[in-house]
This record gives sequence, structure tokens and C-alpha cells, in this order.
Amino acid sequence: MTKTGNHARNEQDPQNLAPEPQSTGGTTRREFLGATIQTSGAFIIGCLINGKIQILEAKSQTPGETKKLPLDAWVRIARDNKVTIVVSQAEMGQGIMSTLPAVLAEELGADWDHVQLETSGANVAYRNPRINFQFTGNSESTMSFFELMRQVGASAREMLIAAAADKWRVDPSACYAEKGMIIHRKSGRKLSFGELAEAAKSKPIPANPPLKQQSDWKLLGKPLPRVDNPAKVDGSAVFGLDFKVRGMLYAAVRNCPVLGGKLKSIDRSSVEGLPGFVDVVAVPGGVVVVGATYWQARTALDALKVTWDDGDGARFSTDTIMEQYRQAMAGQDWLLVREVGNADMIQHSYPNVRLAAAPDKTDKVPARAVDSYANLYSGEFESQFLAHAPMEPMNATASVTSDGCEIWAPTQGQELAQLMVAQFLGIPKEKVAVNRTFLGGGFGRRLIADFVLQAVAASKAVGKPVKVVWSREEDTQHDVYRPAVRNRITVGLDSDGKIAAVSHQLVSPSILQYVAPSPLPDNYDPSCLEGLQGTRYKIPNVRVDFHLLKAGVPASTSVLRTTGYGPNIFATESFADELAHHSGKDPYDFRRDLLRDDPRALAVLDLAAEKSDWKKPPQPGVFRGMAFTEAFATIICQVVELSVSGTVVTVHRVVSAVDCGTVLNPNIAANNIEGGVAWGLSAAFKSEITFAGGKTVQSNFHDYQVLRLSEMPRVEVYFVDSGARPLGGTGEIGPVAVVPAVANALFAATGQRYRSLPLSRHGFQLRASRETYAQ
Amino acid sequence: MEKSHFTVNGKSVELEIDPATPLLWALRDHLGLTGTKFGCGIGQCGACTVILDGNAVRSCQVKVSRAAGKNVTTIEGLSSDRSHAVQRAWLMEQVPQCGYCQSGQIMSAVVLLASNPSPRDSDIDDALSGNICRCGTYHRIRKAVHRAAELARKEEKGA
Repeated sequence: MTKTGNHARNEQDPQNLAPEPQSTGGTTRREFLGATIQTSGAFIIGCLINGKIQILEAKSQTPGETKKLPLDAWVRIARDNKVTIVVSQAEMGQGIMSTLPAVLAEELGADWDHVQLETSGANVAYRNPRINFQFTGNSESTMSFFELMRQVGASAREMLIAAAADKWRVDPSACYAEKGMIIHRKSGRKLSFGELAEAAKSKPIPANPPLKQQSDWKLLGKPLPRVDNPAKVDGSAVFGLDFKVRGMLYAAVRNCPVLGGKLKSIDRSSVEGLPGFVDVVAVPGGVVVVGATYWQARTALDALKVTWDDGDGARFSTDTIMEQYRQAMAGQDWLLVREVGNADMIQHSYPNVRLAAAPDKTDKVPARAVDSYANLYSGEFESQFLAHAPMEPMNATASVTSDGCEIWAPTQGQELAQLMVAQFLGIPKEKVAVNRTFLGGGFGRRLIADFVLQAVAASKAVGKPVKVVWSREEDTQHDVYRPAVRNRITVGLDSDGKIAAVSHQLVSPSILQYVAPSPLPDNYDPSCLEGLQGTRYKIPNVRVDFHLLKAGVPASTSVLRTTGYGPNIFATESFADELAHHSGKDPYDFRRDLLRDDPRALAVLDLAAEKSDWKKPPQPGVFRGMAFTEAFATIICQVVELSVSGTVVTVHRVVSAVDCGTVLNPNIAANNIEGGVAWGLSAAFKSEITFAGGKTVQSNFHDYQVLRLSEMPRVEVYFVDSGARPLGGTGEIGPVAVVPAVANALFAATGQRYRSLPLSRHGFQLRASRETYAQ
Repeated sequence: MEKSHFTVNGKSVELEIDPATPLLWALRDHLGLTGTKFGCGIGQCGACTVILDGNAVRSCQVKVSRAAGKNVTTIEGLSSDRSHAVQRAWLMEQVPQCGYCQSGQIMSAVVLLASNPSPRDSDIDDALSGNICRCGTYHRIRKAVHRAAELARKEEKGA
């Protein structure tokens, strides 16, 4: 199957030595646009070989319908039986351009081998139905689009069946769809989708089309090969960096080195006349040099002399920033964001300030706060600043003309980019077309459109299409970082060693500030609190207090794979292990007791214990650690096996048991979890962003270290099909529990607790795991 | 500007560009071979790996002048139909996620297998630990290299 989708494709290069590109079966003008409802206006997104991009206006033709599904925004059927399914979610490695179209095709009864994919533009039709905003992130594409894709596929199928039943003068219920045909059950008569498409388009869209039983699934639940893989093993997949448009120039970027500073002046003479030099342009965040080729632009940028206004930023360092965290943790300024049972069961010296009453901070410290426990334990945890470091550095291509603006970008945030560009140029958003390419990793970084605006500014200045390319150094030093997070947990145990009360205190800068579709209160951020706002564990008394750190962090902070779950679950699951130890219980049994009334959670916990041989002693010198959590609506338990020699750690094996409700594609889901383990090990052992003199210290992969192949342990992934809905995500859950599982295994090995990350701070380094990798 | 003559994927090319231009950008921007990726620019990540006269090199660190008279193979030159054993193995093991690093991974694997038809895990470590995959497909890369070795050995036998 050659189903790479018509992501943005390059015009033929004058001296292209690549083989002729494989046909992607791009949409052609001859295609019959029907079978569903809207027939006006072909929309061909980001497909230069097919001509100018048009943006679909999504509207329903059936105002009387209770459900207004813009079916043709999602699926079209041509006379030649070709079924076109639109991919609304950015493909950044998580496999979503294979998974969601298969959901639609499953319900439709399409022949998967004759389905072709098309990449969506920025359009309200493709908004996440849960959040009403078009984006890809938060591990929620399957969660939010699964039911919609089923509805769309089933509706189109019912319309095709209605058309066939008309022709055959039979009851529609006597017909079914399979492999691109409508079949009359009794007589075996068949009509192809293409033959029925025209008649089907006039049929009403059913309000509640019947949905397939899981047992009847032909595509879902099977390890269907990813549709994007062929193009990813022959070099033909077009990422943002690879996209070309006629007459395009290249721009190399220098952002203001001191975070929060700005451009003061440009010495144009330092670059004028250099080979290929076209222009030097002030852009949001810094300056770009535009050249005929990237290397010429880059070489000129290296010669460019600019002066910066550092502003306040230069006085910041990691030490000054973390001092703000420590002061906040020691202070009285807390927002009480969660109460279970009696929030005052643990003594505290600060007022109970609730979100609804946030402006009034005059609450007295309650007198009834108590802390009479057999044992009271408290621990503080710190997670580090992290960079996303996707393999493809930030880049975007923009063409600004008098008619508007067109963007081709590896973006997770098409709508945000559209809105930001419209605002930046002062034009209506309808005049901003945002086309999506493949993303060379996203991890949350590409939700933000800072790099897109730079391409727009450059194109506007030079009057030609411009591709802006960040160097790895710019990408590392001007990321929007996962903020450092401090957690304090205080737990009272009763005389049986059971948890009686828990108090969490969390200090974090905002995560959602740049990506929230609607404004947040200035002291609250739900993403920071992920993992603390609910737990599967049965604990009678819980309070969670939050301090949103505003001043003192000059670096931009936002979402990064695992978001708030990462640091918070590192703290809670490390501490769960500590409590098990304090109460003399096996960490698995301790968790079993906390989950005793939760069969779904127990199934995951037990599966991980079984597959990791938890109850059997590991080989001599090997130690295990466990962690369990729910995140992104998925439940996971991970067991790490490692050995320690001095400060050198070898991670041998990681077992993951996962319940995301129902696995739509076990191959893709397992790959996500396996990769998540690698991501978690990078965060646990290797990666850290620090600041000095207002600048990011790290600049490239030599000092912002990530996991290498030799350090990758054996990974095993097992799924539980609980059938729970909504579906959980698998893109970000993988790294969440592996980090505390590592810390817990390190305790088992060394008897020491390591409560701050990365573990390289404590002198640990990873060693190749190959000696245990025998196959 | 000087002229650089070299061979890319079996075709002879002549480029009149600054001889200090990295081979990476010559391939991408002048020859349209965008399968070779820019990742770090300092030889740390391996995304730009190509084969230069049989050796895996980081094309961001090789000036185009150094390629003069030599043979360069890029991902596009492995096969016209994804039939190279390493490409087939990559598909069979369903290795890629975002896919950005995979051209470089595949080229490193091709060079490894050319000199070592039955690599051990430690050989794979040595040959591919210079190629970063941020999605973390290492587990599958390792399996795919073993699989490719097996496919190549079978091809050898059959031939």
C-alpha cells in the first residue's frame, strides 16, 4: 500500500537525483466529490503538484438534522471507488494518521487498500470535539476523535446502503458494507461504493447510525502497518524542513541570546554583499538573515553583528530561579485545589485559599488541623527543566502576498498558528492558509507558533516565500521548556501502616499559558496539577496546594511530553515506594491494598507483577522498582530492572502493563510505549536545561544528552483490554511511570533515595545494556 | 566558486558552489535529495548520515570539496522500490515513529552489514549509537538490524 497521504510535496527539483516519487494517488480534479453531503469546492491541502490550496468551508447541508456532521470534510468517495479520508491530526510519530483513518474506514466498510489520505488544513471542521480547538496534543486524539470518526464512517456507510437498497428495492437492513462494496445479504448482489456514491449523496445523514461491534472489527485491534512507514524508509516523506515552493529563499535565525531580551540594532554592513545574501530582517524574538540557500544564509548569520538589549534577564541563573521555588515552598501563598475528606488532617501554617475565593486570602489557618499519626513522613522532590529536542529543528515556510498568507509547517497547532499569523499581519484568518507537513517529532514544542511568525515576518519583508530554519543551538536555547517542578508530600500513616492523610504542595510555573484556547486564572493551571487532581488509590484524606510561580522564571515554559504528570508522578510514586518501605510492605502489595476496590487498576498492576516475575527474586546484583499511575486516561504499571556498579547504572529490562481501554493498533501502541520508556530514561538519567547569565547553558546534543541505542534496555509491553471509554492515549504515558520506577529500583539497589532529577546530578551514568540483550 | 565533481547514487554531478559548503546542504538544497536530514550540525546526532566511498559519514561535517571524485550514496540511492534488505527489515519490524532520524539509522545499518553480515548486539551498539532517535525506536532498530542481516544472508544464499 502506498498511502503516504498528500502531505505537502515538493516541486520537482531541477537536478533531482532521487528516483521518481512514488505516486501518492493525489486527489485529482476528475474526482467525483460525493457520497456524502457537500459537493461544492474541492479542497486539496498543501498539495502543490495539484495546484493552489483551497480551504474548505465546513457546513452542513441538512439544517434539520440533529447531528450536523460535515461528512465531506472527513470522507469523499469517487466514481472510481477511491475513498479519500482526511487526516486532521498532526503525524509526529504517534501513528495517528494510520489509527484514526482506520477507525473511519472500519465503520464505513471501506477497502483499506484503496483508501487514500489527505492532510487537513486549518479549519473549524477539524477542531477537537472535546475542546473545540484544532490541535494535536495531550495524548487525546484517539480519546476525542474515536467516536466522531466512527459516527462519520457509519453515517456514510448507511447512506451508501440506503442508495443500494433503493436500487434493489430491498430493506436497507438486509444489506451490509464490506471492502468497498454494499452487499445484499440474501441474494449476494453487490454494488461498489463508486457506483453508489452519486445516489448516496442525496440521502439524509442518519442521526444515530448503528456502530460495529468490536468483535466484527476487521482493521481495528489488528497490527495494521503504519501508512507513513514506506515514505519514512526511502527518504520521500516530506517534513517541514524538506518542503519547497517555487522561488523560495532560506533564512537562518538568531534569537536574542538572553531570554526575555530584545534586538537593539543590526549592523547591515556586516553581511551586505556576502555570497547569496538577500536581506537581514528583525523578526519576533530576534533576527534572520535571508539568503539564496540555507548554507549561505547561515554563513552570513555567523558574520552578522547585532546588539541586544538584555533587559532584566541577564541576572537570572538556575540558582536564582530555583531560589524562587524554595521561597515559594517555604511561603504562605497557596491555593487549595483539591480536598478529599478532611483537608485539615495534616497540620499546616497557611490559610485554606480556594480557587473560587482566590482574591480573598484572609482565611485563617484552621484550628482543627491535626497531625496525630503513628508516623508522619515528608519528602521534597524536584524535576528539572527539560528541552523537547525533536530531531527536526524548528522551521516553517511562509509566503506572504497581497492576497494573504500561506504557511507550510510541521505544526501541532494549525489553528493557533492561523490565529497568530492573522493577528501579526492584521488580516482576517480566512486569508491565512496553514498547511501541515510531517513533523520530525513534536512532543508539545510544535503547538507554539513562534517559529511560524518568524517565517511570516521574513517573507513579508523580502516579498518572496521564505523557509526559516533554526539551528540545533537555537532550538535548544530558545525552546519553551518543561518547567522545573518542586513537590512536597507529607503523609500520615496510621498504626497499621496505612495512609490516613496526604498533603501535596506543588510549585510550578505555568504549562498551559501559551496553548490554552481560553484564558486561565492567574494563579491556576490544570496542566501543572495533572496526576494530583485524582488518583486510583483509595486514600481517605487528601489536600493539594498549588503555588503558580510567576516571577523569577524568565524562560518560556509550556507543555512537554508527560506535561504535569511527569514531575508529579515522579514525586507521588517515589513516595509510595518510600511509604511501603516505612510500613514494611512489598511495594506491589502496598499498592494492591490502595487499589483494593479497583479491579481495572488491579488487573494492570497484577499483569505487570506477573510479567516481571515480581514475586520471584531477580538475578543476583539485579534490582527492581515499580511504579503505577493513571495518566491521559490510560492506566500503566511499569517495572524496571537495573544493576548498579559504583555510579554506573545498567537498565536491563522494562516491563509495561497498559490499559488504554481498547487498543486500536497494537503495533503502534506498543511502539509508543517502547519509545516512551526511552524518553523517560533520558529524563531520569541524562537531560537537563540550566541557565547562567540569563542564557540557556546547553546548546546541542553534546551537552543536552538524550538516550542512545546502546543504553536502551529490553522493553516488553503488555495490554489489558478493559473496554473502558473514553479511550486513553498511548503517546505520553510511556515515560510517566518509568522515571519513579527507576528511582525506586535505585533505592532497592543502593538503599538511598534520589528525589531530584536528573540522576546525573547524583553522579549516576547509564551504561550499555547490551550484555543482557542476548536474543 | 569552484566546481565540485562527484558521484551521487550512481550519477555523476557537478556543483558550482562554495567548496566549504557541507555535503549535507549540497545534497539537500542543490541536488534535491532531502531524505538526508539536518539534525544538529555538529556530527552528534547522525540524522545526516550518508555513505562516502563505503564509509558512513556525517554529511554535516564533510565539506563538499572532500567528496570530490568520490561516490556518495544517500537513502534515495539504496533502492528505487524499498527493496534493500535494510529497508525491508525496517518495514517488517515497523520501526519508524516520526521517521526523521530513520534515513540516518538505515544508512548506518547498511554500512555495518556491509562489513559484518552477522552483527552481535554490541556491534550494533558500536555502529548505531551515534544515531539519535528521540522517539526512542531503538528497541525496534536493533531487531530490524538483526532481521536485515538475516534477509541479506538469505539473499546471498539464493543468489
